[in-house]
Amino acid sequence: MSYAIETHELQYRAGKTFELGPLNLRVPAGAIYGFLGPNGSGKTTTIRLCLGLLRAGRGGVRVLGHDVPSQAPEMFARVGYVPERPHLYPTLTVREALALHGAFHRRWDPAAAADLLDTFRLEGDTRIGRLSKGETGKLLMLLALAQRPDLLVLDEPTDGLDPVVRRDVLMALIDFVSESGATVFISSHLVHELERICDWVGVMDRGRLVAEVPMHSFKNGIKRLRVRNAPAQAGDPPFVLLARERGDGASGTEVWVVRGWQPTMRQYFEGIGAVLQDVVDLDLEEGFVELLRTARVPGGA
Amino acid sequence: MFAAICRIQWKASVTALALLAALGFMVPLLTVQQAGFSAGDRRGWDLIGMLSTVEATGTLFPVLAVILGLTLAVGAWSADHQGEHVYALTLPVPRWHYVLLRFGAGLLLIVPVAVAVGAGCAVALGSLDLPTGLRTYGGAVTLRFALAATVSYAATFALAAGTKRTAAAVLAGLMTLIALALILETFGVSPAVVERVMNAVFARPGPFEVLVGPWAVIGV
Repeated sequence: MSYAIETHELQYRAGKTFELGPLNLRVPAGAIYGFLGPNGSGKTTTIRLCLGLLRAGRGGVRVLGHDVPSQAPEMFARVGYVPERPHLYPTLTVREALALHGAFHRRWDPAAAADLLDTFRLEGDTRIGRLSKGETGKLLMLLALAQRPDLLVLDEPTDGLDPVVRRDVLMALIDFVSESGATVFISSHLVHELERICDWVGVMDRGRLVAEVPMHSFKNGIKRLRVRNAPAQAGDPPFVLLARERGDGASGTEVWVVRGWQPTMRQYFEGIGAVLQDVVDLDLEEGFVELLRTARVPGGA
Repeated sequence: MFAAICRIQWKASVTALALLAALGFMVPLLTVQQAGFSAGDRRGWDLIGMLSTVEATGTLFPVLAVILGLTLAVGAWSADHQGEHVYALTLPVPRWHYVLLRFGAGLLLIVPVAVAVGAGCAVALGSLDLPTGLRTYGGAVTLRFALAATVSYAATFALAAGTKRTAAAVLAGLMTLIALALILETFGVSPAVVERVMNAVFARPGPFEVLVGPWAVIGV
């Protein structure tokens, strides 16, 4: 498998409180990779390290085969980036921003830019400083898409946008990916949003990558089990027991959150004298929350 | 790329440039009028006094050149500073190339103001009927103005390109030097540190010598 982004033992330290890594991130080429994590988990820092906007303390980064930061200009010719905070020149009009961006990007597609301007209902003569948050978000996405990149790096691109704008932006993204087959690396803490579009997921927590798996295995692997008469010691279960909580009332029912569940594992409960009452699928958000909860327990996940 | 950068830099500085160009045009006219060279009757001319006035008003040229350099340098970097340089750093060009584009665009924008100064000199000095022995220096002052603005621009561009910490370090260095000189003078030791530094910077072949040279548009 080839990777659009590959980090090797990447480490970074900001002050005395925040430390990131060692991070071994691998974003498969052609994937839509959702980069999840709570606020402050290190998503933006990781993105900035991957793009050479921050200097790593240790380790290396390769993006589309280019070493970062030494080959950053070559890399940026093929990467569209939407940062978390708007970075465009506020005195320029939308049209001027397009002209400036187009002048630097050889693969700039003026026709696609004009189409997206129309789709996003942006006025060419409006100054960037006067755009609303939603309009700025759409302009950033327009610039990234119209440069026809091989890799899109989107840092919370829909954060703070209303549902209509968010839908417009995601639709444009999906259209572009289906046409071009580009890789997308999208960070967000809006789990439901990523669930719909991503085929890979990486989860960050406190500067560590706690999971990196295909979306289907992430969604299917974590289950909530309702177990009656479970013994105090779970023994050696064939799955990963992420959490174990007492259920409601005095019925002796417990709720187990497990990873790596298979239907054939039911017989394990018979072996320990317990009764498996129910198996509940967790959606991505619940799985994400459970994963983080477990990752924060010493020795967990 | 260069045209695109020139356009945004022009937009960032156009108001200030228009004002400076107008002032640049006015200074030679003002000089000639203040000195009294525009008066028709030569009999009452006090040439020494008049030339002193020309010299005095000529100091407006380096002031204007410094302001022009400062304005262009700050205009070149202010938008990038606001966006924490993220946009510039994510463009597919090496950093040195981007800096060169920015620098070149600013240099180009010195031209319209220098042209305005030249035009002002041409208008003010062109029709003067000067006594024998006096000459006009419109072309030389215009060229000196362009060079002074370039030097001022280059210095402030380099300073403005850095972080606030860099600017603070440079200022702190200067302040330390002055404080040290004052302390040494208090104790009766006079190493003339400030004087030496000023000489090194402003006297030939110092980098800012162009600012303190002759600026009179009329002389002998």
